[in-house]
Amino acid sequence: MSDQMLSPDHPSVVFACRNLRVFVKDGDNEKLIVRGVDLTVRRGEKHALMGPNGSGKSTLAAALMGHPSYRVEGDIWLEGERVDTLEPHERARRGLFLSFQYPVAVPGVTVANFLRASLAARRGAEIPVRAFRQELNEAFATMSIDPSFITRYLNDGFSGGEKKKLEILQMLLLKPSFSLLDETDSGLDIDALKIVSEGINLASGPQNGLLLVTHYQRILNHVQPDVVHVFMNGHLVRTGGMELVSALEERGYDWLADEAAVAEGSRA
Amino acid sequence: MADVTASLIASARPALDEGLLRALAASLGEDAAAVQRRLAALARYEAADEPDRVRHLWRFTNPAALLPAAIGTAAAGGAPARAPRPGDAAAVIDLWPGMAPVLETAPGLPEGTIMLAAGADAGAQPATDLFGALNEAAWNAGATVKVAAGARLAGPIHVRVHAAGPAALPRLRVEVGAGAEASVVEQHVGGGPDVRVAGRTFVAAGAGARVRHALVQVWEAGTCGHLAVETAAAADADVLTVCGVFGGDDTKLEVEAVLAGAGARSEIIGVALVAGKQHADVHTCHRHAAAHTASRIDYKAVAGQQARSTYTGLIRIDDEAHHCEAYQENRNLLLSSRARADAIPELEIHNQEVSCSHGATIAPVDEEQLFYLESRCLDPREALGLVVGGFLENTLARLPDDARAMVESFVGPRLATIREGTA
Ligand SMILES: Nc1ncnc2c1ncn2[C@@H]1O[C@H](COP(=O)(O)OP(=O)(O)OP(=O)(O)O)[C@@H](O)[C@H]1O
Ligand SMILES: [Mg+2]
Repeated sequence: MSDQMLSPDHPSVVFACRNLRVFVKDGDNEKLIVRGVDLTVRRGEKHALMGPNGSGKSTLAAALMGHPSYRVEGDIWLEGERVDTLEPHERARRGLFLSFQYPVAVPGVTVANFLRASLAARRGAEIPVRAFRQELNEAFATMSIDPSFITRYLNDGFSGGEKKKLEILQMLLLKPSFSLLDETDSGLDIDALKIVSEGINLASGPQNGLLLVTHYQRILNHVQPDVVHVFMNGHLVRTGGMELVSALEERGYDWLADEAAVAEGSRA
Repeated sequence: MADVTASLIASARPALDEGLLRALAASLGEDAAAVQRRLAALARYEAADEPDRVRHLWRFTNPAALLPAAIGTAAAGGAPARAPRPGDAAAVIDLWPGMAPVLETAPGLPEGTIMLAAGADAGAQPATDLFGALNEAAWNAGATVKVAAGARLAGPIHVRVHAAGPAALPRLRVEVGAGAEASVVEQHVGGGPDVRVAGRTFVAAGAGARVRHALVQVWEAGTCGHLAVETAAAADADVLTVCGVFGGDDTKLEVEAVLAGAGARSEIIGVALVAGKQHADVHTCHRHAAAHTASRIDYKAVAGQQARSTYTGLIRIDDEAHHCEAYQENRNLLLSSRARADAIPELEIHNQEVSCSHGATIAPVDEEQLFYLESRCLDPREALGLVVGGFLENTLARLPDDARAMVESFVGPRLATIREGTA
């Protein structure tokens, strides 16, 4: 059965969007960036999203999380319920997670204080200090992050790789049902890539799903996606498996330009 | 145009006369010398120019908004309830308009360690400015607190200054003897619609003394006022002045710290959290009058809704004051597009063998920071609380633990109410 036939509130679907269109303000006008995306992710599935620079991948991910600067049309479904009218924190509390391509620094706020507040909000209950400390230490060990980072200010002065590791550490702690991972592999050295991939795999299970945005095959070899999408000019132009990744590695994106044009035409 | 403005302010200036001041002095049980000091100040009050609104010091606040409509002699209505003495306090002093001050010291404190005298005139320079002369002539709640030389107080002296009646004119003098260590927490409380305050505080730190003075304004809505603090640090004295502006409507706070003796050090740490239509207009001046002195100012303001923060800061290095260090920083965080901040740092340097630096920033709250935190399950108010807390963090971190806890006990609740209005 084709995934697109599955109803977004089917129990086996963890995440879906239908005819998603995302507009940004462009002076007095609006600019359409994401031009009608249908996506269905079943529980236990890992999807990869590849596409050229500027095609709208980060815009799609941020809009799904509820970024306030976008106007969004279409439905977004998380675990059988519409979430597109919810605030970002409400989506997050229901289990949506976004690993940022460029995680934001919050000077003056320690990683520990931030994580404690975040976890309490996700779980709906304060976490006793000792239990929290233990959980934190384990997660830091899993992600091979030095415990001294616990008392540093959030992402403040972190290297690119350190920021990405902390994103996946948060994914491990928050246990989301669906994760949007926006180029979490970019800028990682070989060891860090392995740690991050293992973290992602550890956080994945039969009940949840993820969408991994990437430019590279390497992380996909570790994470082993079930479905690969090619995203161009605001459209999903091709969906397949790992064989698509090899084709892209060899041929780039140009050979799919025709399909992008067809997608554009069918939406017009 | 200037004449019109001046006459508007002149008409707002509350009427004072000799009979009123004599009655006021009598109600407070003052001696003849104190009455004469009031009358001398009356002459200066009447001669005082209107604050010059062209110069930056008063450009952002209309003095008429801060002046009381009238000065009376009546004590604050009713018998004021005494708040319990905080557990850690060495002493508690309550200042109510029209009433003699009351001192309560901690049990076991040696006799003579902290002494209280009514009135607060001795040693003060005669004021010639409008608000200063008004306070000097007509102050209605005053005390002098003396900490004996060499004394080391375990806990702070809490001074609660109550804003009540149409005009509260508190006048506090703190004298810390040579080599003594003392901490004074001056909390401005009370007030309400149409209550106006014109307060003066003098802090004198003897040679080698270590003094911490905190002024926290938590007036009720509707209260407006002008508060001035003058500190003087003798040789090798170390003075920390902590300011917090949280309540009331319009506040003008002026802190002038003089480094009078060689080797003296002064630090001013200020925090303002304002929202609604509040205006916090803060001026600091560090005057280096002696060589080898060091000063530091770190003032942060957070303005939500239509609130306004104004900061003017002056570092003045006198001719003879060589080998001084002075640092001034002011940062403003705006929580709404309608909030506003102005910052005017100034240097006046007459000796070139010094090291001075200053900086000021005004920035809106970063929407990307809020989105990041919200994407991690924090609701908008929690996210804003973290961002504001982070903004204040490196300033509060400079405070000793207990002073930090004291300031945070005001920041937390104020922030909660600001967020209510912002969300
Ligand atoms: N606020 C905005 N105003 C105008 N244009 C915008 C805005 N936000 C995004 N864009 C444009 O939308 C397009 C998509 O950007 P986006 O960051 O989503 O690309 P991407 O696919 O994630 O690229 P990369 O692979 O480089 O990360 C870009 O052309 C970008 O310039
Ligand atoms: Mg991107």
